[in-house]
Amino acid sequence: MAKMTILKYPDDRLRTVAKPVEQVDDALREIIDDMFETMYDSQGVGLAATQVDVHQRFFIADCGEEKNEPLVFINPEIIEQDGLFENEEGCLSFPNVFAKVERAGKVRVRAQDRNGETFEMDAEGLLSICIQHELDHLNGKLFVDYLSPLKRDRIRKKLEKEARLAAKLN
Amino acid sequence: MSKPANARAAAARALFQVLEQGRSLSQAIPETTQGLTAADAALTQATCYQALRFLPSYEWFIRALVEKPLKNKVRIVHYLLLVGIVQLRDMRTPAHAAIAETVNAAQLVKQPSLKGMVNAVLRSFQRQHAELEQQLAAEQLKSPGLRTDHPGWLQRRLESAYPDQWSHICSANNQAPPLWLRVNAAKQTRDNYLSALAEQGIEAFADPTATDAIRLQHAIDVTQLPGFAEGQVSVQDRSAQFAAHLLDAQPGERILDACAAPGGKTAHILERTPNAIVHALDFDEGRLQRVHENMQRLQLSATVIYGDAAEPREWWDGQLYDRILLDAPCSATGVIRRHPDIKWLRRASDIDALVALQQRILQAQWQLLKVGGRLVYATCSVLPDENTLQIENFLATVKNARVVPVAHAQARDWQLLPETDSGDGFYYCTLEKTAI
Repeated sequence: MAKMTILKYPDDRLRTVAKPVEQVDDALREIIDDMFETMYDSQGVGLAATQVDVHQRFFIADCGEEKNEPLVFINPEIIEQDGLFENEEGCLSFPNVFAKVERAGKVRVRAQDRNGETFEMDAEGLLSICIQHELDHLNGKLFVDYLSPLKRDRIRKKLEKEARLAAKLN
Repeated sequence: MSKPANARAAAARALFQVLEQGRSLSQAIPETTQGLTAADAALTQATCYQALRFLPSYEWFIRALVEKPLKNKVRIVHYLLLVGIVQLRDMRTPAHAAIAETVNAAQLVKQPSLKGMVNAVLRSFQRQHAELEQQLAAEQLKSPGLRTDHPGWLQRRLESAYPDQWSHICSANNQAPPLWLRVNAAKQTRDNYLSALAEQGIEAFADPTATDAIRLQHAIDVTQLPGFAEGQVSVQDRSAQFAAHLLDAQPGERILDACAAPGGKTAHILERTPNAIVHALDFDEGRLQRVHENMQRLQLSATVIYGDAAEPREWWDGQLYDRILLDAPCSATGVIRRHPDIKWLRRASDIDALVALQQRILQAQWQLLKVGGRLVYATCSVLPDENTLQIENFLATVKNARVVPVAHAQARDWQLLPETDSGDGFYYCTLEKTAI
């Protein structure tokens, strides 16, 4: 397994709309395993293929307290949603940025697992937020898009500055 | 997606606010848990309660593990260590999660450079846990404050007031209280409600003395209780329920609940005597809103008045009351198990100020009572200065008061002490106004 590089905002590649996965094979599973390693290493609870510059429709998640509930969603779609709630979210493409975003409280999602089997599941709480957040990535949408332009701009400037500083240090 | 690993950061912030800035936990928790999932907010709260219940012991561990105290700008990291140790030692969080998430939280409290230090301290706690516990046990034999996890001044007061019971009081103060309900007597009998609970498989017990009180075997989300939204039942400690019983309001009487917010006792009075004319007074506008909400949920009606109980000129309509419930502002030393922050927020010097305030309110309220009327003086304190001694002092200064003995206690007044599976610490004395 190998750790992958996570694209950081405002990288344009984060705006790519991903293409459906046509075949769930070993090559894909290898990417998935690398993504899990990358996600766990960065203390994330979800990671979309888009974020590691793979523009296919799948993402992974593990919202368990003990990090032992890995989930794979290939060609995911939300088929039902219910309620609204607001929670603080962060994103591995936005280091140390957290902001409140309004999401559906409960979602029912249909997707394929790592063996290509179709499944449906109901999610609420953190997992529900995570599914909506990662699905947005596959559509080129980011959680800061829900914020006011002013807030979004402030975050962009902060991250650009950090990137410049990091570049200097290297 | 990354999660604001916030339960730990939130708990550290809440504890910082309480212990460094003197805010109450009930103010700090809602603010610091904003935006957390319900599960994380519950974890934050449980961690803070545990930390405040046994604070001296946890502080001892930190002192044993950290050479140089964390002060000033990095003080918040001290509270992260506290949170980490609480979770490693006494909560069901798996050790690796407790450590990883607490280390992450250093980032969230804007001290990323101390991540390594937090990690090192928590890992050495884990490694040396057995020896540290032995050392703590040895220290506890030497230091009473470490043994009871109470501040010295409070422990000394409890010891002198209750030479035989003080250590029981301290240990009850450090236990989570059971969940007590009050059945709305206007809607149904307690037996009917017990059957409704039994039907839902909720284990519950009727209290033999407090006739509207039910204790639940396991705490549950009260909004899930049968008939909660319809006002069939409320949450109220057993000891607090005696206020309405001792007041014994009769139909048509004018009743004043003098420090009413959030309105639990006001509601109880009306549930028992729907035709009483009840005035609910309080000096805290925010908390008066809770009285309105409670009345609405329980479909009861009281006249809510904003005013200072010690200054009736400012709000009183000039008509005497038949009965007055004076649940006076107090040290709240009887409800430490519900508010463990009280142990660390109160100072010895607060007590004298409270005693003086209670005296002023009692004197002012006495003027509003009819001859033949009754005033029930109540506090959720266990300190005699605020209770028995306050009343003795009052009786020495007014001639037209006599004590109506408390039948439950078979005594002049009634000092309830906090008990692990029973009620809070509370004090009651009923005074009758006589013609001089």
